[in-house]
Amino acid sequence: MHPTFSDRIGKLRGSNNEGVLALVLILLIVGMSIANPTFFTLNTGFSILRSAIVPVVFALGVLIVVITGGIDVSFAAVAIFAGYSTVTFCLSLGFDPGLPGIFLMAIAIGAILGLINGVVIARFNLPTLIVTLGTQGIFFGAMYTYVGATYYAELPGSMAALATTNLLDVTTSSGRAYLHVLVVPVLLLCLFVAWVLKRTMFGRSLYAMGGDLEAARRAGFRVKTTHLWVYVSVGALASIAGVIHIVLSRSANPRDLVGGELDIIAAVVLGGASIFGGRGSVIGTVLGVILVQVIKNSLLLVGVPSAWLRTAVGVLLVIGVGIQAIAARRKSRRMRVIDDGDLNDPNAGKHGGPTSDGSTSDGSTSTEKVDA
Amino acid sequence: MSLDSKTPTETPQANVGSVREANNRLGEWTRRFVRRPGVDRGAGRMVIALVLAIALFAFLNPRVFLSPINLQNIAVAAPEIGIIAIAMMVVMLTGGIDLSLVAIANFSAITISTLYTSIAESDPALADSLGIVIVLVGVLVGMLGGAINGFLVSVVGITPILATLATMQIYNGLAIVWTGGSTLYGAPALLSGIGGAAVANIPVLFIIFIVVALLIAVLINRTALGRMIQLEGANPVAAQYSAIPRRWVLLKTYTVAGVLAGLAGALFIARNPTASADYGSSYVLLVIVIAVLGGTNPTGGFASVLGVVLATLTLQVVSSGFTAVRLSSYEYAIAQGVILIAVMVFDSVSTSRIKKPKRSKPSSPTGSSGSSDSSAPSSSSTATSTPSVTSSPASSTRN
Repeated sequence: MHPTFSDRIGKLRGSNNEGVLALVLILLIVGMSIANPTFFTLNTGFSILRSAIVPVVFALGVLIVVITGGIDVSFAAVAIFAGYSTVTFCLSLGFDPGLPGIFLMAIAIGAILGLINGVVIARFNLPTLIVTLGTQGIFFGAMYTYVGATYYAELPGSMAALATTNLLDVTTSSGRAYLHVLVVPVLLLCLFVAWVLKRTMFGRSLYAMGGDLEAARRAGFRVKTTHLWVYVSVGALASIAGVIHIVLSRSANPRDLVGGELDIIAAVVLGGASIFGGRGSVIGTVLGVILVQVIKNSLLLVGVPSAWLRTAVGVLLVIGVGIQAIAARRKSRRMRVIDDGDLNDPNAGKHGGPTSDGSTSDGSTSTEKVDA
Repeated sequence: MSLDSKTPTETPQANVGSVREANNRLGEWTRRFVRRPGVDRGAGRMVIALVLAIALFAFLNPRVFLSPINLQNIAVAAPEIGIIAIAMMVVMLTGGIDLSLVAIANFSAITISTLYTSIAESDPALADSLGIVIVLVGVLVGMLGGAINGFLVSVVGITPILATLATMQIYNGLAIVWTGGSTLYGAPALLSGIGGAAVANIPVLFIIFIVVALLIAVLINRTALGRMIQLEGANPVAAQYSAIPRRWVLLKTYTVAGVLAGLAGALFIARNPTASADYGSSYVLLVIVIAVLGGTNPTGGFASVLGVVLATLTLQVVSSGFTAVRLSSYEYAIAQGVILIAVMVFDSVSTSRIKKPKRSKPSSPTGSSGSSDSSAPSSSSTATSTPSVTSSPASSTRN
């Protein structure tokens, strides 16, 4: 009876601790609702969802890179570059290509910028952090120098219209609650990325590359081409987030977004993605982003000054990652004793081939765990 | 000398390829000249870059760029960035990264400023006479911050980039809470004195920078701890099996970085008697750029203090040169990125080029004896592969 019980627990826990994350989230919401009844309202829920829209889209892009074992810090620069250039272009020509046109234009720009990242990284085999650091400066500087630095309070008509469109408009006792319409496409986008990661060859190859690049190469994955596409899709996702950000803030400010990269990466890591690659899921990432947003929101309601926010996120990150690190070390110690122990491990079969031993095959993680 | 001893055996049958042979040998010589042991990769490259940058801006706008005030500005602005970059380099030597350095520096600056103002409220004379103690407290705070990083990385076992990402948020957040987001004024007279002083027209801040660089160079190249830091970065598994106390080494590494960051915080105040939580937020990424430009291998095991010092100066020269020829700071951001990527690409291309002849050698008749001779110097000069680093750690990091 015991193994099935732990099996069920393991299933609930999820392959990347999504279950734990969801539990923390629920506990936090329950605790907050008890502490302050105004927290548990449709108003708060909708505003948290609204504030999570842009970070979620960013986080999807970061997730893709992190799964392959890389890291991208240029996505915010790509996002604002793509979004701001599109708006500038439309405003200066005085024509409105409509929402599909605007999004397509931004995605094209974002994809090209992502392609630059991808080419440099894949062609010359350089460390991703360093390259994207460099391109971040280039993209940001190029936007200011060649596109412009003016703040636009007026958006093209279609974007302005989208900004005020709400999916739900509920009148509750505590005032009216709006659910922004963009929640739907972002949800669809999440489902799409989840499908790509789980069900397509491209998605599986990302996990394979993150688990062990050399093994993936020898298994016949076209590693360089995939790398290229990863950065192109991150650029495209970032540009979508850029446009959405501009729509939601109802203005195009070139100073926005850049500087918040590390917060997004923190949310993705909280969501269970391994910085070494090979692990991570869309559901965990979304939970991670929402957790950060809930904390942001609840700190204010409990009366904690917003200045504590950064500290709170930092402490959360230390606790989350620290528990993961200690658990991983303990697990590796157990596996050292009984070599075929992972056959009984409830998590072993679930990741698919390359990820099941992703954490142990990775040189840098295993060395972290060897000492103890 | 290995090439000279080889030539007599080759001349009989290698007449056809003698031109190619001579060409190869010339290439080998120039490569060895540029990458002589002692003149390491990062430093050699940065000397050229620095001279080029100075020449370019001296040519474009000699009146502004070469004016004593501008040169002094470069020497005053460089130390604080340079010391943080050296701290980053020390951490990168172990294969880690420390994103929290600037936050630590700001925290230390805020500590110094608050401590001074609170003592000065009751007794201004006492506050100034305690100047050195106050600065030491600031550095101590930095050390504590670094030790917390070290604890998280070594004992808890969190990946450095995540641990320091988190502590960056924490230190920065605490600083915001402490200052309420505003800028603090007030600094010990000792610090502002140092900030304005100069010995033989060289600002004292710059002298401090050089002294710190020398100390760290000695620490890395001449002490057991330094050697262990390098070995840890070059090959953690080998370090483990060599009975190197990895936890202690990592803990000490991050603590040293914290001390340096605390010192940089004191220099923030010395240059400008204000302290705030968000000062130098662009430094976080800039110091990584500097460390990598200076020849630090981001995966660990290889770094050069001299290279980092030169890289700091080069970027500072480019920055002030851009101002001198009236280019915006955004164009400087572009230049920074382009320089970084260009250097990395250049490195990667030149390493792959060196590797190629090694592979083709065995097919030639003299290959069996020649390949082992010629591959040894070339592999030690690439320095991106970890085993080569361990073969010549002392020479590669000499200052």
